[in-house]
Amino acid sequence: MIGAALTIARVKLVLEIRRREVIFAMLLFIAATIVIVHFALSGDTGAGTRAAAGMLWAAVVFTAVLGLLRTFSAEHEGGVLDALLLAPIDRAAIWLGTALAQFGFLVVIEVVAVPVWWALFFQQDGPSIGTVVVALLLADIGIALVGTLSAALALGARTRDVLLPVLVLPLLIPVVLGGVTATYGAFGEEVGGLQPLGFLALYDLVFIALAWGTSDHLLGD
Amino acid sequence: MRTNRHLTTTIPLVLSIVLVPLTIGMAFWWTGEDIDQGLSQKIFYFHVPIALTSYAAFGYGAFCAAMYLWKRTEVWDLRSYVGIHSGTIFGTLVLITGPIWAKASWGVWWNWSDRQLNVFLILFLYYCAYFMLRFSLDEGERRRSASAVFALLGIGLIPMSLLAVRVAQTLIHPTVFTSSGAAMPGTFVLTFLVGMAAMLSLMVLLISVELRGKRAAARVLQLQRIARGEDA
Repeated sequence: MIGAALTIARVKLVLEIRRREVIFAMLLFIAATIVIVHFALSGDTGAGTRAAAGMLWAAVVFTAVLGLLRTFSAEHEGGVLDALLLAPIDRAAIWLGTALAQFGFLVVIEVVAVPVWWALFFQQDGPSIGTVVVALLLADIGIALVGTLSAALALGARTRDVLLPVLVLPLLIPVVLGGVTATYGAFGEEVGGLQPLGFLALYDLVFIALAWGTSDHLLGD
Repeated sequence: MRTNRHLTTTIPLVLSIVLVPLTIGMAFWWTGEDIDQGLSQKIFYFHVPIALTSYAAFGYGAFCAAMYLWKRTEVWDLRSYVGIHSGTIFGTLVLITGPIWAKASWGVWWNWSDRQLNVFLILFLYYCAYFMLRFSLDEGERRRSASAVFALLGIGLIPMSLLAVRVAQTLIHPTVFTSSGAAMPGTFVLTFLVGMAAMLSLMVLLISVELRGKRAAARVLQLQRIARGEDA
């Protein structure tokens, strides 16, 4: 089960390294989103401001949705998905492997984007970067899980590309709330200690459990 | 079976006909005026029961979705859909009555620091997406499963949104409005309970009428197929 999931994740990452379909698009997208939000808030995104935190989280969530649009599509087009479904592996493994790959994409994007965000907006007074990194990692797990789940649900829908963001974004509102609050904490605001991080971890657990329970019904017949 | 179906429509119909006007009567002529809020407090007897009923309908929809995934019979899928549909109808009413009340008592149409409003908004957005998902999939097993799984995920989303709003709220927004109305007079409580019963029976009525409509439509399709000789 775990082995199968890891294999699927590895295949997806290798394919991405060869084709470079998603990651570059995501990088350009996150950069453009940060710039747009910065100007949309008329540049009021200086060091330690809440806008700076919001900008990062909005950009991360929208970029994740962009990446999700391509989940399963390679399999869907090539008929690989049917083969995977016939293979003697757990359905949960397909979903888990895909979520792992998605998590990997997000981490790669953030490794580039977060330092840039930090350098652009916090010349002197940086937030405690450790908290931000932990919050992002916890959020990435949740985003990858919930996103892959929604992508699987939208598979075979006529308007898949339009549908997916509509399905995912409401589910991710709690992640944004938790993440933004954790980032305020990193800026030195009093946010109830580890509460926001604990919340993000709990969100991951709840949706792991729900996804696990329903994974048999996810990918069609 | 036939009488049973009639009863599931007739009983809530009678109850709705009695209880909805009764709530209006009690709210306006029986209960006294709230000292703080005056007349605008009357909307409490409608807004809050509608909101709770909407949650009940979403809950019913999610429960039927779980039953579908377990039993795999079409009727549970239909019930789940109809439940979420009526939840969305009541939800729309909540989002209309809520701002009216907010404007009257807080002076603003929407209060972003109110926990219930925000959680409700998240849930409403989520279940609106349910219809997009459902109607962009072709009818069949795949659509039924996907709808059911999506409906069930909402059960995780409700506590998560509640918690998230609470975590974000602890220190971002000051809690401006505390519920100091714990000591409501008995007439207020009774009117509220009657309103609650009225809205719930209205919900059951809507669900059962819509289910009957859907069943009838399915039956007509089937008869048409038989008439054309496609299906014996």
